[in-house]
Amino acid sequence: MRVAIAGAGAVGTSIAAELLDNGHEVLLIDKNPRAIAVDSVPRAEWLLADACEIASLDEASLERCQVVIAATGDDKANLVVSLLAKTEYGVPRVVARINEPNNEWLFNESWGVDVAVSTPRLLSALVEEAVSVGDLVRLMTFRQSEASLVELTMPDDAPLAGRRIGDIQWPADTALVAILRDGRVIVPAVDDPLETGDELLFVTSEDVEDELAALLADGHG
Amino acid sequence: MLLVFSWREYPGRPSHLVRTGNTVGGHISHALAGTVLIQGAVVHIVIMGCGRVGSTLAHILEDQGHSVAVIDQDRDAFRKLGSTFKGKKITGIGFDQNVLSEAGIEHADAFAAVSSGDNSNVIAARVARESFGVKRVAARIYDPRRAEVYQRLGIPTVATVRWTADQMLRRLLPEGSEPLWRDPTGAVVLADVAYGEDWVGEKTSAVEEAARARVAFLSRLGEVVMPGPGTVLQEGDVLHMIALEGDLERISAALSSRAPGGKASKGGR
Repeated sequence: MRVAIAGAGAVGTSIAAELLDNGHEVLLIDKNPRAIAVDSVPRAEWLLADACEIASLDEASLERCQVVIAATGDDKANLVVSLLAKTEYGVPRVVARINEPNNEWLFNESWGVDVAVSTPRLLSALVEEAVSVGDLVRLMTFRQSEASLVELTMPDDAPLAGRRIGDIQWPADTALVAILRDGRVIVPAVDDPLETGDELLFVTSEDVEDELAALLADGHG
Repeated sequence: MLLVFSWREYPGRPSHLVRTGNTVGGHISHALAGTVLIQGAVVHIVIMGCGRVGSTLAHILEDQGHSVAVIDQDRDAFRKLGSTFKGKKITGIGFDQNVLSEAGIEHADAFAAVSSGDNSNVIAARVARESFGVKRVAARIYDPRRAEVYQRLGIPTVATVRWTADQMLRRLLPEGSEPLWRDPTGAVVLADVAYGEDWVGEKTSAVEEAARARVAFLSRLGEVVMPGPGTVLQEGDVLHMIALEGDLERISAALSSRAPGGKASKGGR
């Protein structure tokens, strides 16, 4: 796959290295000459240009890219790169980085963004996940479907502890996708019981998150 | 919306002065001017960017009795407004919802994005229009190629660089105007011709009759439309005509000041 990444900072270059390891073709674009550190990711193609300008994107042959990642530290630039990638070059998948949580609401399909990744939100979700027991924590949101991945660590007094998974009436559009127990991943089956200390991972629609939280808190569906 | 009421209050006034819509390129200044032409109707206008253009706009609009709010990231920029400016000054990012709310975007009739950043301008203009429903918005865009793209996407832009370059060319070249194409004899030209809003919805054949020249093609949403017997001029179309160069001025005059069918102008210059 050919992937173009706008912004060759720490985020852009580490994504580039990861993608190259997985066998993809990567083009890194940055407008700052000091960011062009070819030695840091020698296998990538590098382009010194402003990714917000049509001429640069023409030069980058953006129409040949299956994925464009707008990973600069400037949310405005990320929005414009996403819009141009989608509308002018028909890039099938556009991923954009959100730097400032206040700007999160802008990153949607009207700007050509298929997947938005919010660095501050991810960080706070991970911290919350690490410290909270018994509360539903949203780990990430799948933009296109308005579904999210949520997590709950079963507290000692969890009402659902000991219940058979098949007996629990989960809210509509909710799937228990994995149980993390003692460092192992358990793929849930109907006959498995839930235990205290289990980390439950759900994919659920945003509408029923509250319902799911209530069920997990009081044990009644 | 306020503009609609003002039309009702002044039934004798030409409707095209209050019609809102997808004004593009050089037409936007006319669209904003259209707003202020409605006498007695006070409109609220939000301006993002308090540079030379922003502060000039703010003063002109305020002098005409409208209410104005100016947004700029830099508090010092408001000094350009001087001490006579009565409107609101808001320090902040122009596409921030809270900042826009503070500027009264919910009841604004128009929004001008004239900060020094192309990206800020286009984002703010889209937010004003799509999130807050402001009908008349315009973004000043320096980069001519991006301005074209945004215009095609329906974001009204004022492409300063292209416009300035064209204006310079017109003064530098002996012909005075810069047609798209000129035949080898130099007599026949292909040129963009501006037209009054009254022509929207009229057949190109009517345009040809009034202009006494041929319509070569229309540029519509980035595509070329070849005129046929039933082709109708739509809002935002760029009209390209083939004409004798010496006739261009007369043609422009015929299409800007005269309504279809040769009636006198409804615009009342």
